Amino acid sequence: MLKKIPTPVLLLLPAIVVLAAVVLFPLLLSLYSSFTPFRLTKPQSLFIFFGFRNYARILANLDFWIAFGRTVVLLTIALNLEMLLGLGLALLVNKATMGKRALRTIMMFPMMFSPILVGFQFKFMFNDNVGLINNALQSLGITETAIPWLIDGNLALFSIVVAEVWSSTSVFAILILAGLLAMPQEPVEAAKVDGCTPLQTFRYVTWPFLMPFAYIAMTIRSLDVARAYDIVKIMSDGGPAGRTELLWTLVGRTAYSDAQMGLANAMAYVSILLSILFTVYFFRKLAAARASIAAEW
Amino acid sequence: MAQVSLKNLVKSYGALNVVHGISLDVKDREFIALVGPSGCGKSTTLRMIAGLESISGGVIEIGGKEVNDLPPRDRNISMVFQSYALYPHMSVCENMGFSLKIAKRPQAEIDQRVNEAAAILGLEALMERRPAQLSGGQRQRVAMGRAIVRDPEVFLFDEPLSNLDAKLRTQMRTEIKKLHAKVRSTVIYVTHDQVEAMTLADRIVIMRDGHIEQVGTPEEVFHRPRTRFVAGFIGSPPMNLEEAVIADGRIRLRDGASLPLPAKFTDKVTEGQKVVFGLRPDDLFPKGHGLHSGAESDIASLDLPVSITEPLGNETLVFVEFGGREWVSRMLNPTSLASGQTVTMQFDLSQAHLFSAETGLTLSE
Repeated sequence: MLKKIPTPVLLLLPAIVVLAAVVLFPLLLSLYSSFTPFRLTKPQSLFIFFGFRNYARILANLDFWIAFGRTVVLLTIALNLEMLLGLGLALLVNKATMGKRALRTIMMFPMMFSPILVGFQFKFMFNDNVGLINNALQSLGITETAIPWLIDGNLALFSIVVAEVWSSTSVFAILILAGLLAMPQEPVEAAKVDGCTPLQTFRYVTWPFLMPFAYIAMTIRSLDVARAYDIVKIMSDGGPAGRTELLWTLVGRTAYSDAQMGLANAMAYVSILLSILFTVYFFRKLAAARASIAAEW
Repeated sequence: MAQVSLKNLVKSYGALNVVHGISLDVKDREFIALVGPSGCGKSTTLRMIAGLESISGGVIEIGGKEVNDLPPRDRNISMVFQSYALYPHMSVCENMGFSLKIAKRPQAEIDQRVNEAAAILGLEALMERRPAQLSGGQRQRVAMGRAIVRDPEVFLFDEPLSNLDAKLRTQMRTEIKKLHAKVRSTVIYVTHDQVEAMTLADRIVIMRDGHIEQVGTPEEVFHRPRTRFVAGFIGSPPMNLEEAVIADGRIRLRDGASLPLPAKFTDKVTEGQKVVFGLRPDDLFPKGHGLHSGAESDIASLDLPVSITEPLGNETLVFVEFGGREWVSRMLNPTSLASGQTVTMQFDLSQAHLFSAETGLTLSE
C-alpha cells in the first residue's frame, strides 16, 4: 500500500502526522465543540450537536460585548502609549553618544520578566494599603488619602494599562531603534539643508522611514494585547465586579470556572476574529508604508 | 552677493586633526573645485560650509556674514549629495518643491519654480515618479533640481557624479557646466576626479592631508604646479617624476642617466642639490610625433627602448625605459611600435619642472 504513495509525500508524512495530531486535531475539535453544549462536568455533552446556539448566545450576551469593547479600548490606549514612549525612548537612545549598547540592553529588561511576575509586582505597587505608589504619593504630600487603585473600576483598568505599557514599551523601542539605525543619513542631511527644523525633519523625513517598523511592532503587540490574560488575571482577575474583564479572562472563566467549554470555545473563535482584523489592518498599513519609502526589505 | 571665505578652518575629531587651518576666498559666482585623494579633508570642509559638521576652529563667512553657529537652514545654501539623498516617499515634484513647502511659499510660486527647474533639467515627463522608479542619472538631475529650486546663494556639490557610469558622468558634467552658466550662483564642488575639476572649475583647490597644496586656475595648476604633489595629481596620465641630483650642470638621474639642465633653472639650483625632475607625457615623445613648445636648443634627444604601448586611437601612450624606470610619453599621429624596439625620444626641457627633494616645492619661481 505504501508503494502507491509518491516518495515526496511519503517523506513528508511523519511531519504531516505530527502537525495534524498537535495542531489540526485540537483546532478542529475545539471548533466542533463550539457547536455543542460541552461542559467539562458532563463529558457526554460533547456529542450533542446543537448548531449555532452558542454563537447566538454570545451575540446576545452583553457581558461578552462589554469585554470585547474593553479589550479594544485597552488595545488602543496601550498601543498608542507604547508607541509614543517607545519612539521617544528609541530617539533618546539613538542620540546617546556613548554606552548605546548598554542602554539597548537595559531597555530590554522589562521584556525579560515573566508577565505573571510583572502582574504581581504591579499588584503590589498599586496596593491601596502597602503599595509603593500610594506610599510615595502620601509621603510627598500629593494626596491625603489612599487611592484605591485596584478597587475602583476605572483606576484598575488604568493600573493594568500602566503594567502593560511598562512591560512592553521596549518592543516598540527596539524595533523603532532598529529602524533608526537602518535608515540612511543623507535624506536627513538633505532635509536640514532644505530648511527643515529638527521637528520638521522628523515629521517629513525620519518618521516615514520609521513607520514600517512601528507597524511591525503594532502588529506584534496587537496580537499580544488582544490575548491579554496573565497580567490582568494576576492584578485584578477581571474585577472589581467585572470592570476589568477582558475577552480572554472571560473565556478562561467561562471555560474553567463555569466549565462551559463549548461556549468558551465559541467565544474564543469570535475573539480570534478581533486579532485577525487588527493583523490585517496593520499589515495593510505596513505594506503601504514600505511601498512609500520604496523599502527593499 | 555670496562670497564664501574660510579663515584658518580647523576640524578635529578628538586628537585627530583632519583639516589643519585652511584659508580660502571664494568669489561671488565663482565655480571652485575642491580636489584631492580620499581622506584629504575636502568633503569634511564642504560639510562644514554646509553646517552639517561642526567647526573645531576658525571662521566660515558666507556673504560676509559669519555662519559658524548657524544651522544649515539659515545659511542659504543648497547641497547635492553623492548618493542623491532624495526623499524616497515623495514624487519628483514633491522632492523638488519640498524646501519651498517648508518655507511656506504659496503653492502657485512653488509650482512655477519647480516647473522652471524641471524645464532646465529636462525632468518634465518624470514629475509624478518616485525616486525608486528613476535611473541614476535621472535621480542626480532631480537632486540638482531640488538644489536649484531653492535659488540659494551658494551651491555645494559633494562628489555628485561618482555614482554614475563613465558615459553618463561626462554627460552630466556638461550639464553642470551649462547649469552654472545659467544660474550664476557661487559653486563649491568636491571631487576626487581631477578631470572633473579641470573641466568645470574657474579655480581649483588641491588638498592633501587637510592642507591646501595649491589654489589656481586649471591652467595654473596644470602648467605651474606649486608642489610635487600637485604635479603628480593633476594631469592624466600623470607627470613623470624622478628623483635626481644636480651635477656638472646636468640633471643626473639613477643608473648614470642624465639630462641637460634647462636654461630657466641655471640660476635656481646649486651644484649637488637634490631635486625631483618632472616632465609631462605631452613633453616627451618619439621624434616627429609631438608638439615642440620651446626652442630647438631645449630639446634633448635620446635613443630609448620601448617597453609597452597603449594605443588610444588618436594617440598612443608609449612607455620607454630610461634611468632605471619607465617613463610615459604621448605619441601623436601614432605609428605602431613593438616592445623592445629602440626609438629616438625627444625631451622638451623647456616644459620641464624641478621640485626641491626636501620640501616638494617648485624651483621654477
